[in-house]
Order: sequence, then C-alpha cells, then structure tokens
Amino acid sequence: MEINPEFDNYMDRYFDYLGQWESPSKCGLKIVRRKDGKTLAIVTEIYRQNPGTPVTEWCAPLASKILSEVGENPENFIFIEHTPDLKSKLSFYGETFDLVSFDWNGTRYENPKWKRLSREQVNKLMEE
Amino acid sequence: MPRSDENKKIMKFKLIYPRWEKLEGQTIFYLPPHGPVVMAADLPSYVEVDFTDENVEDLIIDETPDLIGISMMLTTQIKRGWAIADQYRKLGKKVIFGGISTMLHAEETMLHADSVFLGEVEGRMKEVFEDFSKNELKKVYNFINNPPDMGLIGPARRDILKEDMYYHKGFRMVDLFHASRGCVYDCYPCAVRYLGGRGFRPRPIDRVVEELSQMENNRLFIVDNSLALDTSWEKDLFRAMIPLKKKWVSHTIEDKDDVLDLAAQAGAWYVYQAVFDRSHYIRNRIKQYHDHGIGVEGTILLGLDNQTEDDIKRLIDFLLEIDLDLAEFTVLAPFPHTKAYSDLLKQGRIFDHDWDHYNAGKVVYHPKHMTADRLQELYHYAWETFYQDEPQTQKMFNLLSTVIQREQQDGTYKPRRRDLLDQSFGRNINEVA
Repeated sequence: MEINPEFDNYMDRYFDYLGQWESPSKCGLKIVRRKDGKTLAIVTEIYRQNPGTPVTEWCAPLASKILSEVGENPENFIFIEHTPDLKSKLSFYGETFDLVSFDWNGTRYENPKWKRLSREQVNKLMEE
Repeated sequence: MPRSDENKKIMKFKLIYPRWEKLEGQTIFYLPPHGPVVMAADLPSYVEVDFTDENVEDLIIDETPDLIGISMMLTTQIKRGWAIADQYRKLGKKVIFGGISTMLHAEETMLHADSVFLGEVEGRMKEVFEDFSKNELKKVYNFINNPPDMGLIGPARRDILKEDMYYHKGFRMVDLFHASRGCVYDCYPCAVRYLGGRGFRPRPIDRVVEELSQMENNRLFIVDNSLALDTSWEKDLFRAMIPLKKKWVSHTIEDKDDVLDLAAQAGAWYVYQAVFDRSHYIRNRIKQYHDHGIGVEGTILLGLDNQTEDDIKRLIDFLLEIDLDLAEFTVLAPFPHTKAYSDLLKQGRIFDHDWDHYNAGKVVYHPKHMTADRLQELYHYAWETFYQDEPQTQKMFNLLSTVIQREQQDGTYKPRRRDLLDQSFGRNINEVA
C-alpha cells in the first residue's frame, strides 16, 4: 500500500537519511513546534516506500539527525515513532505510536527505549 | 578446479561452512550449501579453494591456507563461525566472513574478523583478493546498496562440494539452486528486504537454463523466496525448464491454473506453502497444488501475536484435515532486521539473546497470549500430533517414491549408489545410530 503524506495527520513530508551501512533510506516526518517551546518530531515508517533501514532499527541516529536539522536542544526534543495502518489482514501492520527516549552522550542520542502511546495521547502531545 | 590463466601465484583459500546444532527430535538431513558455491563462482582464477562443510566432515585447522573465508547462512552458525575465526586468527591467518547471517550480525561478526563482506559477490571477489594480496584487506566490503547485474550470476561452483557427503543410504539429496533474488514483500518474520532488497530481481532465463543444464543432479531445491512475483517471468522459466526434466522443490508458486500446469510440466515435485490460518483459501490452495500433481509441505509459524493456545490447537487439527504431505513447525524467531525483531524489541519482550537459540525451535521471547514455556510445549505438541499416525520419515519416503516414479517414467532415474548404502551424510549409519 502506498502512503500519501498529504493525507496523513502525522506526516508532512518525506525525510531522507542514510541508514545502516549507508543505505539510502526514507521515512515520513512531521515537526510540531509546541506552545511550550518544545519540538515534537513524528517519524513514520513507510515500509515498501523506504528503500533502506527501517526507522526502528535506526532511530537513535535518525533522531540525532532530525534534532540537528531542526536546531533544537536535546532536552526540548520529543521523538515519536509511528507505523501507519496498512489495512493488512495481519495484526502486525496496524497503526502504532511509540514515544522514544534516549540517552544523550553530548553529541548524539544512544540507547533508545520505547513506550507505546495511543493516538489520543499523541494528539494531545501535539497540542501542548 | 584452480585455473591458472593469470600470471599470479596460486592462492590457497580455505572456505568454511560452520556446523550448527540440529533441532531436537527431528529427522536429520544435510543439503549441500548454496552460498559457498555461489561465492566460489566469482573467485579469481589464481585462487585455489578448499571447502569444508562442518556439518558433514571435521574441520582441520592448520596454517596451510593463505586466507580463510567463513560463509554463514543461519544465525545458529555464527557463534561457531566466530570461534573458528578466533582460532585461525591466533595462528596469524586473516579471516573474511560473508553470507546471509554475516549480514544479519555484521557488527558483532566484525569483532572476530579481519574483514566482512556485505552484499552479493558477483564481480567483487577480484577486488577482495587483490586487496588481500597487497595486505590491504578492508574491514568492510559494503555492497548492500549496490546489487550486481543479474546477468553476471554464472553457474555455481558445485565442484567444490564433496558430493558423496550428501547421500543418505545411497540416495542423493537435492542440490540448491536459485533463479532470482530479492522480494517485494515485507513479511513480518523475514529479513529478505534487508538481505536482498525490496525489488524482485530475476536471473535471465538463458543463464538459468545454462546452469541447470550443467547440473548432474536431477533433484533440486529452488531456494528463491517466492517464484510468484512476476507471472510472465515465472511462466517463461517453467517453459524453459520443461525439456530439462528436473524434479524440484520450491517455495510458493502462483495459484493460477495455467502457471501450476506449467510448473507441473517443468517438474514441480512439492512446494513449501505457509499455512497461517484455517481459511478456505488455504484449503483450496493445497487442493489446487494436489490437483496438478504437486505435493505440499506446510510451513507453520507458531507464536504470533494473533495466536492463542486454542488457535494453535485448532490450526493443527486443520492441518490434519487438509491432506498435507509434510508439515514443518517453527516458533517465531525474531531475527535482526525483521519487523518481528523491531516490534518485540520495542516492547521489551525478547528475553534470550543467545544466537545459538535462534533456531526457530526454541522460544526466545514472551508470546502475547501464553507463557514462553507453554508455547514451547505447543511447538512439541504440534510436531507430535501431526506425525503421530504416520512418522515424518514415512511421509518423506512417500514423496520420494513419487519422484522416483516420475523419473522412471521420463528416463531420468538414477539408482541408489550401492557403495554408499551404509553411509549417511559422510558417516557410517551404524556410527550415526
């Protein structure tokens, strides 16, 4: 199934990155500048449209790259992984959101940890 | 055989396929490995290769070779591969790793390697061996993002195999062969997206026929992830195979009658078909294969998040109803670079990170609807229940009888090797027992 960013609340554009072994890779990206001054990034796994490394496998380097591009401080940056609903018969391809926390080593993120969120929780995080 | 058409000193290359522990209680057989023979086909002419498949013969580690290559397909081979590399490196020998599980576990493998090769070999071995000759072996040869032209894939070097090792009581096992690489799908437990790319890349039919024509073994396992990814190519392939009179096993074939008819004419013996639910679709699909004279080995993956204990028991009952010729049960193994791995990792559900346990027979994660121990019990229950009325060896013999009859009809049958009647995969059957 093709994912069209124009019709997804959680994607504004595609984002290109070099994944593992410098594989050209692609994800969906939405940046939300929140009222409280923090920046929220939602990255979307786009499956077959991503020729390279999936976002989960590369989320620490990916979050570091997006942080650098949006010019935010690590402590003001919120990173959410999104997998869209592929309308598959298999339950593994339903919609999920995970808030990812990292350790900051002074130059980049490391050691990702995931916490499952509901769509409502994500919507709330976008509005804060 | 070494070729000396270049004015270079002959280089001795020891190529090793590490052993792995077989699944408890299952029929043991060994197929001649595929990765090493494909790799060997790209070796420069001045390289003399000595191959050891540790599953069927003992490995002698000495200082004779110039360079050591370790080819690994399974995750359960990697710890043994690392141990072999460590021994050779203590002797001062350089070791290069390649193959599917090298790619899946590349960072860890680099700790035991002088070099790792990532990607597909065609057109690349000359560079590797020239670098080695100059003592400039690179830590990583990364061709993951740069697959070769499929026309470069020539006949595999099956001459490196010790053929007699792959006989059981005089019967020869199938030889492995491939007609395409890559896959367009992104299946939950599968890493082919990472290993072979998201595109389907068929070999040119004439190159396929060239290789098949050179293969002395009449029985093959076509190891392609799926033959059902390009109907036109699939039909052309089967048409081209008909005159060769090979008999073959493969993964899925398209469920169109004209395709199945051609497949049967081309020698389809039996196929592996994933049985993931109790639907009419599955029931009809099995029947459709059988209607075309093609056997079916069901592959059943246990422990997915949509399976309760009751679902698994009902699925096993269903398998007994649909007249499968064979069934192979596995538990989900979350191999790196699969969605299964990503999902279970995110949820903190993987509790066992010993790669020796990633054999698809041991539960290494917390299933959603039962304990890991209960899933382990159900795995054993599945094997025992399916084969309680007719053992696996008998069902395999039934399939073998089918192919022997067809070979006798078309004049391709080769009798059992009488000199190997008391041998099973390189060992005397009395020793094996």
